[in-house]
Amino acid sequence: MLSGIRRYLIRKTFVYVLTFFSAVTIDWLIPRLMPGNPISIMMSRFASLPEASKYMYSYFMESFGLDKPLWVQYINFWKAVLHGDLGISTYMYPKPVADIIKDALPYDIAILLPAITLSWIVGNWLGAIAGKNKKLDSFLMPVFYFLTASPYFWFAIVLAYILGAKLDLLPISGAYSYGIMPSLSLEFIVDFLKHWILPFLSLFLVMLGGWAIGMRNMIIYEVEADYVRYLEALGASEKTLMKHAFRNAILPQVTGLALQLGTMVAGALTTEIVFSYPGIGYILMQGILNQDYFLIQGCFLVIVISVLVANFIIDLLYAVIDPRVRFSFTEGE
Amino acid sequence: MKSEKLRIALKNRKFKVGVAIIVFFALFALIGPLVTPFDQLGYYPVKLHKMLLLKRSTPNLPPMSHDVIYAPGREINVTHYLGTDSFGRDLYAQVVYGLRNSLIVGLIGGGIATFVGLTIGFLAGYRGGWTDEILMMITNIMLVIPTMALLIIIAAYMSTRGVIIESIIIGLTAWPWTARAIRAQTLSLKNREFVHLAKLAGLSDLKIIIGEILPNITSYVFMVFILQFGGAILAAIGLDFIGLGPTRGISLGIILQNAVLWNAINLGYWWWAIPPGLIIALFITGLYFVNIGLEEVFNPRLRRE
Amino acid sequence: MRRILGLLLAVLIVSSLGGFAGYAQAEELPRNETLYVGGGLWSPPTNFNPLNPSPVTGTVGLLYETLFTYDPLKDQLKPWLAEEGKWINDNTYEVKLREDLKWQDGKPLTAEDVKFTFEIARKHKGVFFSNIWSWLKEVKVVDDRTVDFVFSDPHYTEWNYWLYMIPIIPKHIWEKIDNPVDYANNENPVGSGMYKLYKTDQMRCIWVRNDNWWGIKYFGKPAPKYIVYVIVYSNNVALTMLVKGDLDWSNFFIPGVPDVKSKYKIVTWYDKPPYHLSANLALLFLNDNKTPFNNPDFRRAIAYAINPKEIAQRASQNQVLPADPSGLLPLPSHQKIKAEDLIKKYGWSYDPEKANEILDKLGYKDVNGDGFREYPDGKPMRFTIIVPYGWTDWMEMARIISDQLAAVGIRVDPKFPDFGKYWDDITKGTFDMAINNFGSFISITPWTFYNWILDPNVAPTGEPTYGGNWGRYKNPEVAELLTEIARTKTLEEAKPLYRKLQEIWLKEVPYIPLIYNGAWYEASPAHWTNWPSEKNPYAYPITWHNYWQLGGALVLLKIKPVTAGGGATTPAKTTESAKGSTTPSPTSKDKGLCGPAALVALSLVPIVLYRRRR
Repeated sequence: MLSGIRRYLIRKTFVYVLTFFSAVTIDWLIPRLMPGNPISIMMSRFASLPEASKYMYSYFMESFGLDKPLWVQYINFWKAVLHGDLGISTYMYPKPVADIIKDALPYDIAILLPAITLSWIVGNWLGAIAGKNKKLDSFLMPVFYFLTASPYFWFAIVLAYILGAKLDLLPISGAYSYGIMPSLSLEFIVDFLKHWILPFLSLFLVMLGGWAIGMRNMIIYEVEADYVRYLEALGASEKTLMKHAFRNAILPQVTGLALQLGTMVAGALTTEIVFSYPGIGYILMQGILNQDYFLIQGCFLVIVISVLVANFIIDLLYAVIDPRVRFSFTEGE
Repeated sequence: MKSEKLRIALKNRKFKVGVAIIVFFALFALIGPLVTPFDQLGYYPVKLHKMLLLKRSTPNLPPMSHDVIYAPGREINVTHYLGTDSFGRDLYAQVVYGLRNSLIVGLIGGGIATFVGLTIGFLAGYRGGWTDEILMMITNIMLVIPTMALLIIIAAYMSTRGVIIESIIIGLTAWPWTARAIRAQTLSLKNREFVHLAKLAGLSDLKIIIGEILPNITSYVFMVFILQFGGAILAAIGLDFIGLGPTRGISLGIILQNAVLWNAINLGYWWWAIPPGLIIALFITGLYFVNIGLEEVFNPRLRRE
Repeated sequence: MRRILGLLLAVLIVSSLGGFAGYAQAEELPRNETLYVGGGLWSPPTNFNPLNPSPVTGTVGLLYETLFTYDPLKDQLKPWLAEEGKWINDNTYEVKLREDLKWQDGKPLTAEDVKFTFEIARKHKGVFFSNIWSWLKEVKVVDDRTVDFVFSDPHYTEWNYWLYMIPIIPKHIWEKIDNPVDYANNENPVGSGMYKLYKTDQMRCIWVRNDNWWGIKYFGKPAPKYIVYVIVYSNNVALTMLVKGDLDWSNFFIPGVPDVKSKYKIVTWYDKPPYHLSANLALLFLNDNKTPFNNPDFRRAIAYAINPKEIAQRASQNQVLPADPSGLLPLPSHQKIKAEDLIKKYGWSYDPEKANEILDKLGYKDVNGDGFREYPDGKPMRFTIIVPYGWTDWMEMARIISDQLAAVGIRVDPKFPDFGKYWDDITKGTFDMAINNFGSFISITPWTFYNWILDPNVAPTGEPTYGGNWGRYKNPEVAELLTEIARTKTLEEAKPLYRKLQEIWLKEVPYIPLIYNGAWYEASPAHWTNWPSEKNPYAYPITWHNYWQLGGALVLLKIKPVTAGGGATTPAKTTESAKGSTTPSPTSKDKGLCGPAALVALSLVPIVLYRRRR
């Protein structure tokens, strides 16, 4: 059995490495298949005399290595990546891509990590309650569905309108006041949290609906499962029953959580736009619109890695936890 | 058997509510355009020697406003059920046509995603081994290639894109989740006794898939489709909002994008920004109700009524 | 298990919040000394290299300075770093620097620095003014305050433009930098200007006043101690901030400003439409290489069919002016050379009948009765007009143009490709019609406009060109005129040449002027007053990159804080305002200790939530 798992692990690792290379290669190739090039678009932002533009165009083509054949660029790309160098952005020239990601990502994490984890916790909790309490369920379930059916940004707009513009309770732009300096003082933290609430809330509520529904359905399913009926017949307390049901229902939710956390590094684009909140989503979109090869491939590399890691963890979890799946992997030995 | 399921379904309150919502909006999208003289972008088309001129109303009118459109040689009285936007375009027309397009995206995008996901998930789950690994690898690659990038490159080659293209792209990028789910279902099914029995009986793979496994997950597939339907609509509205939607035609996401770009909220033109999102949220809620209703029908254990 | 999860969460939240705690002290910028500006920054600030063509706005003007500035309202070149500049002979321009110029690090700014700035462009082709060296021969230091520019082929007119565009950089710093083109220059950059770079982050760029600025004795001291240049992604947010008084000075195009202007007392240049000064010209580009656009009469027919007034009104909410046929901006530098008589004689105005007449005469008739004209050989005629997707006002313009042309039987489908595709099409000349305005900005000489739009050195169709002659209009006479104008010494000398250019423009109709895009400017009187406007026209109030030296910097010198306590002129007031802020005071340290405690408390919430479920 153990050797089966080891073999399974080796095979998985191999497949994951292969996936990684193919995905990164495709992501590298995609922007380069578009007509035009990043330097050309760079020129569109330079209001200068035609002659000056001509000089700069040839200079930048050469300095970014875009005058070389595609395969040379591809080799150079991997060489640089292996040295931890993601290149320089053309859109935010001359900032290195790695720095762009490093500077922007914390904001996404500050919003998304709490939004995902808290909505997961609260959603599962509410979902479990709805699952065992029929009266509450008939009232809560439509709310959950409505939340999860709303587009994030529309919900954000509505929140910004009511709480921000109409009632003037909370600020609706930026990550903190434009006039305050970041520090670990109470004042700044309060300011930061004030700005954080609306974007957080808009994501939290919409996500909450999804988790709650997943949990609710799972609990109902488990509560009605044969073994629970059996335990019930044996006279187990309701608390014990729920504990069992909950334990079984939580597994798929953990999977979902891992996957959500894996995609976190892609940012929360629409939320960022509505609240002018800094983050990687908006920068990546601008990178794409500006055909910034280096920024695109750098961001994609990070996304690919994190999604794959999340998937890998789930695969491992499944192999360890679910005996049916494990049997399927090791069958025929 | 079928009619009995239907009977149970019709008794299920969630199913009924869901169907009512869906039918209502579907009819609205179908019939709604008939009761407005405006075109899908909210302009009033006027014929002049066989040519169409696009006329505009007064900008920023609140819902149920009456206005006069001046066409060559005549004056036309119009009513704006949902008001007008900052370009004097009728919002009711934009919303009904936008909803129609959203439904198209949902059907085509959701359909493609379900079909592709189903096929791949089945194959991967049933065949196992290297087939499984390779298919799952493709699935994973698809998962990690952002939809946005694909949209842009395709857009670059097409110079403009319509709703159909958008739905195809969404469909072709949304299937991996379904594939994973179906694979997991197939994995657990194929180790059940009846499949082993069928194998022992020497039935071919295809026959086992069609005869033994498929019937066991038909209901599941249908529910997956409903979820993909809603998912495709939400994906499309998000893409539209960030400016990567159809470059011709209208959609609810585009209306919302314009509303935000042109300050509808701050200027108090709520009729521009609220209805499109509300309609989408309600419609998808309806879809979910049908989904859960069906689940209860097919899976008696879930029934609570 | 749950407790571990909760703890993990707590750690995660603390660390995600703690990520920002790069600074030790709490500090809030005093409102009455801080100016909030927006509209010229669209991504987190990274690039403060003045040799680069698009650094963060303020790099040139606030941080680095040019020899001269240019006032587009009065059409004057004004000395800034220079005391004066003049041609001492036909090939030599001599600049005399002001006395006591100094860099922000206290070192003197001398003629050597000026020479160095130009020399660096000779060595590095990526510097945005390196092309000057095709007609500049050498830069000679005469004495500490005097520099001579010796030209091999003096472009007198063009030189005037560069005089206020080229920022002078300190030799003692830049000579140590290996590749000055790729240098981001974002750590304590040293310039000579009235502001120093204070801090940057993902949302803003903060400048702090240089209290040792050399210019105080010449120009006075700018009132705002801090300038916070904000990044705002949506109009929505910009408008909210403006009406709340959180944004003092906006250079965004904000839809709806006319509607809320009086309610919130928002200052715009004019109180009535078009509200804004003009900044550049949006034109309808025709592909002059393609039939039937290669026929000037056909182009003229299109010009007659287009009604710029309707475009200005419907697409831009009357916040812009419709363009006249010459396309010359309603600002003195362009107006001075405008030949009204030629416009009357050869120009056009909206007249669909006339358009029909020309088209009929050319043989483009509706033969099959579908309402649209066909080519003389009977083939259907159908064009597209392209505008980048998401540029909603331009998209609306394209639709209106399509309608207006349909009214004379020309079928034009508006198409909205993504910007990359749009840019590819116009730079390569693979389009029918397009709207664009990129190089038509106001400058000291209309030559820059003509040189952009009629650029004779275009690449052939299919290869990219970066002048503005997207439709590849070719006319040897124009090429000659442009070279000549660049070399004229005085306006009087240039005027007849400009007349000839205008005559060609009006007769040939290479492209069709649509509207004058605005120099978007909205100011809030909540915290700062004495904003420039039509009634108080002391400066061109724009803060975009390369516009500070056109007037933006002057605004800083003239605005005044609203509250009596504010203001930068007396040191006593600074202490007063410090009360409102939390800058290094003992209390803020206590607060600093409270911070982590609050975080820990906050992170307990999920744990509590978890326990309650049991």
